Amino acid sequence: MVQENVAKKENEMAREGFEPRILGFFCHWCCYAAADSAGVSRYQYPPNVRVIRVMCTGRIDTRFILEAFRCGADGVFTGG
Amino acid sequence: MAETCRQFLADCGVSQDRLVLEWASAAEAPRFVELITGYVNTIKEKGEIGSADGEADYETIKRRLTAAVKAAEARKPRTALGTLAKRLHKDGDYSKETIAKGVASKILPALRAERLKEEMLLLLRDSSMDLDGLCKALSAEKKEIERPLAQLIKKGIVKEINGAYQLAS
Repeated sequence: MVQENVAKKENEMAREGFEPRILGFFCHWCCYAAADSAGVSRYQYPPNVRVIRVMCTGRIDTRFILEAFRCGADGVFTGG
Repeated sequence: MAETCRQFLADCGVSQDRLVLEWASAAEAPRFVELITGYVNTIKEKGEIGSADGEADYETIKRRLTAAVKAAEARKPRTALGTLAKRLHKDGDYSKETIAKGVASKILPALRAERLKEEMLLLLRDSSMDLDGLCKALSAEKKEIERPLAQLIKKGIVKEINGAYQLAS
């Protein structure tokens, strides 16, 4: 049922123009801070990235990335 | 690690370009914006997961990745990753080619073997299948799956009835 709904929703999204769902793994000290300051300085960038903050890019494991794609992410952006 | 992921994703039927690793320091907001915008545009061109050139359909990808997550937890590939890291450190050679070659020869075979084993269990959970059916569903060669299959039978997890394999419950 849930899957049907998700599929329906996804079809609707595809019709309206494709907005990719991207998962971002950002390092707390680098990329996350860069994203923060980009926001503060009011730069425009696409809102497709859902961010997960990690304390270091080295914390990211192969499993995390595979799991992200398994859950239907269209891309994974790792920022160190 | 990134190279391992990339090669393993390609093995699972996902385009390698969907995963990127980029660097932007805390002071580089403009660079970050550039990277994100560029990346989102690439993915937009590629379309949804499972729809780009050379990718398997999403159902297959999902099943493969479920098995792949388990494979990435297994001891053998993780040891292989550690050993390769140690060797790279010893040789002091961190060039892309060396890493790619090392991953392709040492880690990927271990990951693939584990993934095929896990995926086989997933397939057999749904229905019983014969050897050819398994090969087709896994898009693997016969010789690749014969050994893990024999091991599973030996362990009593899978049983064979008239050439068809199913889970022993």
